[in-house]
Amino acid sequence: MAWTSSHSWLASLMAPTPLALTIGVLLVLSIPLFLHFVIYRSTTSTTLPTFLLVGPSGSGKTSLLTLFERGQPATTRTSQTPLTVELSLPLTTPAASSQYRSAADPSTQFHKKFLLADTPGHGKLRHHAFDTIIKPQNLKGIIFMVDAADISTSTSTTGAAGNEALRQTAEYLHDLLLLLQKRANTKTSRAPPDIPVLIAANKLDLFTALPAPLVKSALETEITNVRNSRGKGLLDSGIGMDDIAGGAGEEREWLGEGGEGKFTFGQMEESNVQVSVVGWNVVGAEGPDVQGWWAWVGENL
Amino acid sequence: MLDGFEILTTSGVVLWSKSYAPVSSSIINGFIKDVFIEEKVLPGASVADDASASQNPTYKKEQYTLKWASVKDLGLIFVAVYQSLLHLTWVDKLLDNIRIIFVDLYRDQLKKPHTSVVECDFDGYFDQQVKELEGAADKNPQRAPQVTVNDLTPPSSSDNGIEGLPPPLPGLAAVSQTGQLKKPHNNGDSTDITPVSTPDTSRPTTPASHILGGKAGPKSRRAKKAMNAPANASSGDERKGKPKKDTGKKMRRWDADGMADDDDGTVLDYSIQSPDEDGMHSPEINAGIDGIDMQSAGTRTGKGQYVLKDLDSEVHSILEGANEKKSQSASSSSGVVGSSLGVISGLFRNVIGGKVLTKEDLAKPMRAMEEHLLKKNVAREAAVRLCEGVERELIGVKTGSFESVETTIRTAMESSLRKILTPTTSLDILRSITAVTSPSNLNPLSPSPRPYVISIVGVNGVGKSTNLSKLAFFLLQNNFSLLIAACDTFRSGAVEQLRVHARNLKELSARESLAKIDLYEKGYGKDAANIAKDAVSYASSNNYDVVLIDTAGRRHNDTRLMSNLEKFANFANPDKILMVGEALVGSDSVAQARSFNSSFGARRGLDGFIISKCDTVGDMVGSLVSMVHATGIPVVFLGVGQHYGDLRTLNVGWAVEMLMK
Ligand SMILES: Nc1nc2c(ncn2[C@@H]2O[C@H](COP(=O)(O)OP(=O)(O)OP(=O)(O)O)[C@@H](O)[C@H]2O)c(=O)[nH]1
Ligand SMILES: [Mg+2]
Repeated sequence: MAWTSSHSWLASLMAPTPLALTIGVLLVLSIPLFLHFVIYRSTTSTTLPTFLLVGPSGSGKTSLLTLFERGQPATTRTSQTPLTVELSLPLTTPAASSQYRSAADPSTQFHKKFLLADTPGHGKLRHHAFDTIIKPQNLKGIIFMVDAADISTSTSTTGAAGNEALRQTAEYLHDLLLLLQKRANTKTSRAPPDIPVLIAANKLDLFTALPAPLVKSALETEITNVRNSRGKGLLDSGIGMDDIAGGAGEEREWLGEGGEGKFTFGQMEESNVQVSVVGWNVVGAEGPDVQGWWAWVGENL
Repeated sequence: MLDGFEILTTSGVVLWSKSYAPVSSSIINGFIKDVFIEEKVLPGASVADDASASQNPTYKKEQYTLKWASVKDLGLIFVAVYQSLLHLTWVDKLLDNIRIIFVDLYRDQLKKPHTSVVECDFDGYFDQQVKELEGAADKNPQRAPQVTVNDLTPPSSSDNGIEGLPPPLPGLAAVSQTGQLKKPHNNGDSTDITPVSTPDTSRPTTPASHILGGKAGPKSRRAKKAMNAPANASSGDERKGKPKKDTGKKMRRWDADGMADDDDGTVLDYSIQSPDEDGMHSPEINAGIDGIDMQSAGTRTGKGQYVLKDLDSEVHSILEGANEKKSQSASSSSGVVGSSLGVISGLFRNVIGGKVLTKEDLAKPMRAMEEHLLKKNVAREAAVRLCEGVERELIGVKTGSFESVETTIRTAMESSLRKILTPTTSLDILRSITAVTSPSNLNPLSPSPRPYVISIVGVNGVGKSTNLSKLAFFLLQNNFSLLIAACDTFRSGAVEQLRVHARNLKELSARESLAKIDLYEKGYGKDAANIAKDAVSYASSNNYDVVLIDTAGRRHNDTRLMSNLEKFANFANPDKILMVGEALVGSDSVAQARSFNSSFGARRGLDGFIISKCDTVGDMVGSLVSMVHATGIPVVFLGVGQHYGDLRTLNVGWAVEMLMK
C-alpha cells in the first residue's frame, strides 16, 4: 500500500492544479526581473564612469574640479582627502559610447553622467591616487595636472637642487605610468581596459608658463633621467614582495621599451596607454580656458 | 582684529571665507601641510571628540597666528588667522560657536555625496558672532566671554530692525520660506548695535552704506557669474526652469515689501541673483536645497515668534540646542537601561558594521594595538602617540559594513604608518648628486658644478663607517668619483678602519675600472670641522663628484661633543647629513634622533636616516617608526648585512606589512 500512497502524493504534486501553475508562472517571470533589479542596482551605484585627477600639489586639480562643477573655480587649499563629484557631459558633446546611436535616439537627449575624482597631490598622500588605479571601478581616464609655470626653468632658480618642481612632477608621472604599465602587463584572464592619460599643462595664463609642447618635452627628458637613476638605484627593502603596490617585485620594472635611450610618451602605447598633452588654464584674468576637456571626456566616455 | 576666517573641507575646497586683510594663500596651505599632513605640529595630548579650538595647538607662521577647530565626520576645518602681535582671547570661542552654527545649518548639504557645493549664506551669522564675542571681550577683558543663555537674549522689543519692518505679515511669512529673509534683518540690526566687525563701523553708518560696503565682494563675484551664465546654460537641465520661477515669484513679492525699507537696493540685488546661483547646479542639488529651506523655515515658523525675531536668537537657539544635546548625551549614557541596550546593539554592530565609534569602544583594542607596536620594537612614546592619533581620527566615525572595530583600527593604523614613513619629497640620491655635479647647461642661471657633500653622524658603534663604505660602493658603481674624509679624529683606530675600507674599494674599482676613490686624512686630535672644510675644497679643486665625511661617534647626551656638530655643519656645509641609527635600539631611538636633529643649529637639521643592522631584527623594525615619528625625517637607506652590497632603500609597503604582521 505504501507505493500507492506515495504515488498519489506525487501525482497530486504533479497535477496541473491552478495554484501550482500560477506559482510556477509567477516564479518564472519574477526571477529574471528580480535578478535584473538586484544586479542593476548594485552596479549602477558603483560603476558610473570615472575620470581621475592626479598631479603634484598646487597644480590646480581641485580648482579644475570646482570649475566643472560650478562653472567657475572655487578658492582652494591643499587637499588632504580625495573628492568625487558627479558631472554630466553637455548635450553638444557626443560621447564615444553613443556613436552608433542615431541622432533621433531619445537616449542621446539625456546627459551622460560621469564622476570626476580629485586626489591629494602631497607626497605623503599619493597612495589615494595609486589605490584608485590599482582597483579601478570603471576608470575611463586619468588627467595628470602639471603646473606649467612652476616647472619652467626660468622661474625656479632653486640653486643647487636644480629644477625641483620639474623633478618632482616627472617622478610622480613616472610612477603613475609605471603603475599603468604594470597593470597592463599583469596576466589576467581578461585584459584590463585601456586607460588614456591626459597631461594638462595648467596655468598657461601666467607669462612664465611653458607652452604645452615644451612641457611635454621637458617631462620626457626628465622622465628619462628618472628612469635611468631608478635603474641604477639600490634595490628596495620590499624585494620579493609580489604585489603591484609594493613596487619592485622580483625583477625591476622598466618604464617603456627596455628602458634604453630617451623616453617618449609614445613608448607607452605598447601598454595601451595613450598619452596626450594639452595646455589650459583654470584660473586667469580672462576667465578659465580648458578647451579640449569636454572633447577628451566625450571621446573616452 | 582677525585677518581672515575660513571654513574649508579636507578635500581642499573653501566653503566660506571672510577676509579682513589680504593673507597669502601659502599661510593656510602651510598650516594644512604642517599640522594635518606632515604632522610637524603634534596635536595636544587630549583626545576628545572634535576637541574645542582651545585644545588644538596654535600654529604660527610668519607674522600670523592660526587657530583652528575641526569636524571630522564631515571633513571640515575652521581656521582663524590673525596677527601674532594681537592677543585675541575670544577666537577659540568664536571657532567653537561658528563650528556649531555652521554644522547645524548646513549638515544636510555637507553630507551629500558627489558634490563639493555648499550653498551657504553665512556672512550674517558670522558677523553676529564676531560682534557679540568681541564685544563681550571688550567689556570684560579679564575673562573670556562665556555664552550663556542669559546674556544672549536680545532686547527684541526695543529692536529697531524689527520695528522698522513693513507691516504686512502674510507677505513676510511667505518670504521667510526662501530662507533669505534673515539677511536684511541681520544687517539692519548690526548697524544698530555698534558693530565692530568691519573697519568702517567705528562711526555710526546708515544701514544701506554698511550693507553695500560689506557686500561688495560677493556682489562682484555674482556679477561675474551672471556673465558666465549663458555659457552654463548649455549644461543646464530643462527641469531647472521650474524652481527658478518659484523663487523668482517669492522674491518679487519681497521686492515690493522691501521698497518700503531703506536697504532695498541690496535686497533687490540679492533676489535677482540667487535664482541664478541655484540654476548653476544640477536639478537634484537644486531640489535638495529647496527642500532644506522649506524644512528649516517650517520649524522656524513652528516656533512662531522666531521667524520675526532676528538672527541673534536663531544663533542662540542653535548654540543652546548643541549644549542641551551634549548634556543629554552625557546623562543618557549613564542610564542603566540605555547603557545595556547600547551594549547589545553595540555588540551586534561590531559584527555587522555601521557602528559609531566612541572612546570606550576603542579603549581595549587600542591598548592591544599599542602592545603590538611595542612588541615590534616601536618606542613607547611613538606607540602612544600613534595610537592617540588613530583614536582621535576614529572617534565618531562609523565602521564600514561587516567591519569589526579591530579591523577598522588596523586599517587606520596602517594608513597612518604609511603616511609617517612615506617621505614628503623623493629621496633619489643619484639624481640629487647629478643635479649638483653636472647641472643642466641649458639653463644659464644654473650654478657651476661642485662636489656633493654627504656626512654621516650617529652614536658610537652603530656602524657609521660600515654604512659609509656601503654608500661609497654604491656610488662607485654609478661611476661617481669619491673622496672619503676621515673626520673621526677622536676614537683611536677610526682612521685605520676607513683606510682599510678605502683600500678595498680602490682595488674593487680598479678591477672593474670604475671611478677614482681616495681617502682624505689628517690624523688624530685635529678639529674635525676644519678637516671637513679642507676636504671639500680639496675635492672641488681635484674634481671629485662626492665627498663622504665620516664623523666621530658621540652619545646624544654628551653636550660637549654634540655642540661641535653645529660648527661642523657650518664649515663643511653638507648637502645631506645622514644619521645612522641601529634597528636594535629600543626606546633610546627617539631621544637620539631628536638630539641629533637639533644639534646643527637653527637652520639645519638631519636630512635622513640610515637604519643599520636591519637583518638582525626580523620583523621588529619598530625603530624605523620611532625615529621618523620623533623627527619627521625620512629613512633613506637600510643596512641589511655585512657586505658592501647590503644597502637598500626603504619600501614603505614592506615596512608597514612587517609592523602589522
Ligand atoms: N594663475 C593660475 N592659477 C591657477 C590655475 N589653476 C589653479 N591655480 C591656482 O593654483 C592654486 C592651487 O590649486 P589647487 O586646485 O588647490 O591645487 P591642487 O592640485 O588641488 O593641489 P593639492 O590639493 O594640494 O594636490 C590655487 O591657488 C589656484 O588658484 C590657473 O590656471 N592659473
Ligand atoms: Mg586639491
